Amino acid sequence: MNLFTQSVISGLMTGALYTLLGIGLVLVYRTARILNLAHGESFAITGVVAALLVGYGVPLPVSIAVAMLVAVAFATSLHRFVLRPRSEWPAGTLILITLGAAFVARGVMILLVGTDPVSFPALFEAPPIRVAGGALPVQGLALVLVGFGVSVAVGLFLAATRSGKQLLATAENPYAAELLGVDVERARLIAYGIGGLLSALAGVLLIPLIAVDFQSGLAMTLRGFIAAAIAGMSPVGVLASGLGLGLFEAMVGAYLGALFQDPVMFFVLILVALWQSRKIRFGGGRRA
Amino acid sequence: MNGWYLRSVAVAALAAVLLPGELAAQANKTWLVGQVAPLTGPAATVGTRLDKAVKMWVEDVNTAGGIAGRKVELSTCNDENRPEKAVACAREMIDKGAVIIIGNTLTASLRAMLPLVRSGPTMLIPSPNIVPSPDSYAFQVSPSDESITESVARYMQASGLKKIGMVAATDASGEVGVASARKVFGAHGFDLQLARIDLRATDASTQLARVVGSDTRLVYSSYSGGGAVTVVKSYKNLGLEPPMIVSYANISDAFVQIVKDVKPPRLLGTAAAGIVPDVLKDPGERARSKAFLAAYTKRYSEPVDMINLLGKAATDVADAILRKVPNPTDFNAVKKYLESNVVESVHNQRFSPTSHVGLDSSAVVIVELKGRSWVLADPVK
Repeated sequence: MNLFTQSVISGLMTGALYTLLGIGLVLVYRTARILNLAHGESFAITGVVAALLVGYGVPLPVSIAVAMLVAVAFATSLHRFVLRPRSEWPAGTLILITLGAAFVARGVMILLVGTDPVSFPALFEAPPIRVAGGALPVQGLALVLVGFGVSVAVGLFLAATRSGKQLLATAENPYAAELLGVDVERARLIAYGIGGLLSALAGVLLIPLIAVDFQSGLAMTLRGFIAAAIAGMSPVGVLASGLGLGLFEAMVGAYLGALFQDPVMFFVLILVALWQSRKIRFGGGRRA
Repeated sequence: MNGWYLRSVAVAALAAVLLPGELAAQANKTWLVGQVAPLTGPAATVGTRLDKAVKMWVEDVNTAGGIAGRKVELSTCNDENRPEKAVACAREMIDKGAVIIIGNTLTASLRAMLPLVRSGPTMLIPSPNIVPSPDSYAFQVSPSDESITESVARYMQASGLKKIGMVAATDASGEVGVASARKVFGAHGFDLQLARIDLRATDASTQLARVVGSDTRLVYSSYSGGGAVTVVKSYKNLGLEPPMIVSYANISDAFVQIVKDVKPPRLLGTAAAGIVPDVLKDPGERARSKAFLAAYTKRYSEPVDMINLLGKAATDVADAILRKVPNPTDFNAVKKYLESNVVESVHNQRFSPTSHVGLDSSAVVIVELKGRSWVLADPVK
């Protein structure tokens, strides 16, 4: 087995995950100016609901569809029923509310499946694809293709469609967008919906390769946030940062060891943050 | 005569007034047993399973009328596997006057709690990673991690293997596993290929690529919980063929349910022999194991796993302390009792003045998952 090839494969899969999670987080942040700490819960909810339904004998495609629907409903409900009525509250308080929502979701998941990890079968059951001394599971290939494909699609959606432009306009200046006839609340709801959907999609593609438990959500939020922060909270930049992070993490893990992963990753994050803030520190910079 | 009569009447009257109260007070007194367990957080899967065994014991004891006229009162503190919280929990138990503390939590938390019980109360530990000092009041009811690793080495010898790949987590338990592996496999002259995996990893293929060579015929993952599933699934994704040994913490129905369709051709595990009672040579141990397996399954409608079994071992020792030591709050007396007597359990616990670990490597076997059951594993062919 070739360690370098396997590291590239692992990095691509992890990178696709970072990207899927990061884009949703960025969309919500840019339209609602809130860092949604319950973002990763849609990932965990998808896994828990799908595993539960499969366990009850519901066919896999139906289970996945229902699970994704529940995850999107969670994300949009958080905005519609919890955050929107309190939109005048300080951003910090709203962020704390999203953290509270994440813990409520955890509690419900414990009640549903307990504390043990759960999983569900892969969508694609086939022997791994062997390439240059490495092995790529078909489900992993789907994760890579869908992860990066969806990221490009979201970029195109934002740049080329009316709804996408409304989202961007809301992100830039919600008051001006409203004056120009943009339904800002609808745009935000769409952003939460897309965020939830992408998070759920990450769950559908990744969870069959691992397992999920009631507390997986926050770790996923953190992953998305790292990719988003390195990209300067830019939806297009997340594609590059997610890919770079995934590959970097895999290489550090493979050649330096997992003990070095966190220190090196967060050191890089600090360097990138310093680099991005150079113009702010020295004047004339752009902020996300 | 008159004086004697009056004194007798006075004593009788005093006894009539005080004795029923004293008896009532005696009946109202309980044995306070403290339990520190991670019931939420990353290690909740371990804490909740140990908690089930403890609750079962407390209910059984109290239903039978208690011990020496006193019921057992269980006070549980959720440490979330956070050492600072575990310390607060231990302090709370000591302040409340717990006669025994069952440390149903993980390595880092247990290490943080140990200095607090330096002068008592007695602490019982199901984790294999502590190996308490013989001059302490802490007693470990599971084999040490080194003994568990020794059982893997024995299995390798029986299979004629000289090389093993190992994946260990980057936490305190993982580090204990790595230290044991280096010591034990090194002593046997085995070639150890080692890789560590982060607790949040979503893929273990690079770690496996590092440790599995063309001549590797056995892989050991000392990882537990959700991470162990990631390792097993990555193993399958890479299409690896050698038998894989998973940690004793994964000998559970929940784990089997997740990996049953993606397990390697041979999935093995380290386990206390009580999980497969028929391999136990001691008839008493065999009977107790079978009885516990049946009672637990009847009560919780789920099969017993390794963690439950270790919980049972801890409660057996607690039970023996409360029944056999005249004053269980005399921690020196408890220590002396445990160091000089065999405690009957699913695996009889043998502590001594030189070792506070109740089981050695002879209690550990390598089991194999066949269907949904774990059976004694045949050597690698």
